[in-house]
Amino acid sequence: MQKLLLRLTLLLGTAALLGGLGIWLGLRRGYVDAFYARFAAPPAGSLVLGTSRAAQGIKPGVLAARLKGYEGPWLNYAFTLAESPYGPGYLSSIQRKLAPDTRRGLFIVAVDPWSLALPNDVKLGDRRFSKGRNVIFPEEKSMVSQVASVSQNPNLDYLAHYLHKPFYQLLLNTDTAHVVERLHPDGWLEIALPPPSADTALLRRRTAEKLATYRKLAAGSSFSIERYLNLRGTIDLLKQHGRVVLVRLPTGPAMAALERQFQPDFDQLMHEPGVPYLNYLDQPYPTNDGNHITRAAAEQFSLRLAADIARLNH
Amino acid sequence: MLFNSLHFLVFFLLMVGLYYALPPRWRAPLLLLSSYYFYFSWRPSYTLLLAATTLLDYYSGVRMSRLGTKRQRRPWLYLSLTSNLGTLFIFKYFSFFRETAGALATALHLPYAVPALELVLPVGVSFYTFQSVAYIVDVYQGKLAAEQNLGRFALFVAFWPQLVAGPIERGGQMLPQLRQTHEFDYANVATGLRLMAWGMFKKVVIADRLALLANPVFNHPRQFDSLALVLAVAAFTGQIYADFSGYTDLARGAARVLGYRLVLNFRQPYLATSVGDFWRRWHMSLSNYGNLLIVFLLSGLWHGASWTFVVWGALHGFYLVIENWSAPLRARLAQASGLAASPRLHRALATAATVALVAYAWIFFRANTLADAFYISTHLFQGWGHLHLPQLQALLAGLGRHFVAELVVAAGAVALLAAADYRAERGSVSAWMARWAAPLRWAGYLGLLLATLYCGIFGSSQFIYFQF
Repeated sequence: MQKLLLRLTLLLGTAALLGGLGIWLGLRRGYVDAFYARFAAPPAGSLVLGTSRAAQGIKPGVLAARLKGYEGPWLNYAFTLAESPYGPGYLSSIQRKLAPDTRRGLFIVAVDPWSLALPNDVKLGDRRFSKGRNVIFPEEKSMVSQVASVSQNPNLDYLAHYLHKPFYQLLLNTDTAHVVERLHPDGWLEIALPPPSADTALLRRRTAEKLATYRKLAAGSSFSIERYLNLRGTIDLLKQHGRVVLVRLPTGPAMAALERQFQPDFDQLMHEPGVPYLNYLDQPYPTNDGNHITRAAAEQFSLRLAADIARLNH
Repeated sequence: MLFNSLHFLVFFLLMVGLYYALPPRWRAPLLLLSSYYFYFSWRPSYTLLLAATTLLDYYSGVRMSRLGTKRQRRPWLYLSLTSNLGTLFIFKYFSFFRETAGALATALHLPYAVPALELVLPVGVSFYTFQSVAYIVDVYQGKLAAEQNLGRFALFVAFWPQLVAGPIERGGQMLPQLRQTHEFDYANVATGLRLMAWGMFKKVVIADRLALLANPVFNHPRQFDSLALVLAVAAFTGQIYADFSGYTDLARGAARVLGYRLVLNFRQPYLATSVGDFWRRWHMSLSNYGNLLIVFLLSGLWHGASWTFVVWGALHGFYLVIENWSAPLRARLAQASGLAASPRLHRALATAATVALVAYAWIFFRANTLADAFYISTHLFQGWGHLHLPQLQALLAGLGRHFVAELVVAAGAVALLAAADYRAERGSVSAWMARWAAPLRWAGYLGLLLATLYCGIFGSSQFIYFQF
């Protein structure tokens, strides 16, 4: 048995060394995916929360440079509609990501009707509560809900369970000039598509596809009191650690119209939690697909947001 | 618990360490306990189902062993068969028959209202019930002495390396091994680990990569024709083999590390020279039951409760009938064309034709619906006049931005598998490698491990045969 153990140790040790070296190089120089850096970043003092609109539309670096007096590090911790609508999974992940000693953080909570909706045929759990139904949230098994260690570098838990590409590709993803998607260390997701004005036909097609998806979503889902209660829970948690601002990000005109139709009382509802609510829905920022603002617009919007939040302080 | 998961890695290391650390008499109980834990980790409630059918089969076997004639044993046989096949029917086939009857009733304008059962299919149910049925039939026929030790019988049914996707073991092969104690043996453990490493490579480097090519087409077949369909069918042909034989290698390797030898399940099936030959090489632990009926329709249904599987089984049955019927004609043609004088070329052509027929049948195995399967099987031959670039782009989209690198890796890995199979056809690969100089051999092992680590697609991809 000793002979086998010795040989195995030598073989596996060499494999681990060579494998680990390559993966280390890949993580250091390469690019993992659109989510990993957020889980490898240290616990944050100030956060941007929400779905893909916020992930692509708000640059924490710009906010940090303009808004002094808030605790860092700053991190955009917004994911996608499938991963991070307001619910117990996202709330618990935010709890884990938040630096526990933070007292003067700034929390941009991006809201829209989609992140507060549930499918009409949502499954119900066994128990019933007085407020709302005991729904089984569709994102319960999603990556954001499931990743236990959210501030680990390297994040082996994430790599082992959610990296859906082979490790060798980490070494190939070092050319920053020719990638469409790049997640920055501060959590901002840069989508480097050609500017829409360069190809309006392409923009029209992308917008039509996006709208078709959301029209289907609107037909099959509705406002959820359960999600709203979780948003309130998120706000209550964050208020203990600093200032909370609700933000409705700009989007394309057709998408804005669809949202109003889907949830006409949304703005009214957002005044209820008793925290500032900044509504930019109709502000004319260019989008990549009729939904997400472009990377250049993200810079401009973040500057505008920083200025508006600074004004709130006076 | 998937074999290609961290959960399994921890389980396996702990299990093997404990197994050899414990005194021999505690090893079988440990195996039984770990087997139930293994099953429990899938869906706890179904462990009760496994335990209940095991108890009934054990009791039926013991009662039959005390009765002299087949006639006296028959009620116990029926009881066991009813329990096993009933379980299978309720959990696997009820919805299929209900939907089929519903469609028939609707077509005939008859009233029909049978409630749906919202049951999740117990993983591996086809495998362990089939193994239990084979045991009980062997005992009934007097070919096998009934196992009198409940723990040992339970381990025979639930032995974790082969519990969820085989190989399907015969009582006569497995039970004697369960009665022996297994001491640590370097050769066994080393062979087992080599098999496991090879199986893992096949699964995460080959099967899961080819799936990325096959899935976009099989999920939306109507967006494709000609070349894209052919490539997707070819990819699935490789995927299903690498996936299932990869799982089998992992299962056989894990058992071998513990000192047990599971039966061979694959013998280079894509080097078969006829469909009959293919079935002597593919899923041998099922097809070796020798009943053509099993190979045909029942084999199809055994795989899944869907008409696509029935057609797949029937198609293979059709192939075999035609093959047998046309054997003299083909022999005469080979003589007349001069092929008979070039046995290598003859063999290569026969192999190519067999793989093409088998690949065509896989369309029905993989397609999501019968309509999709018919679409793919007919549109393979259409649209060859011009190259559809958007279709190829959609096909390659699954491989991501680095699709060229992915294609190179896939081609290299498939070539390695083909070379290994070709070598295995001429004798044991292990024995061949044992003749290599030690540094070269160990460099080969290291290369395999690194290739698996760097090129493997990890995540949560389940083995295809787990659904059966």
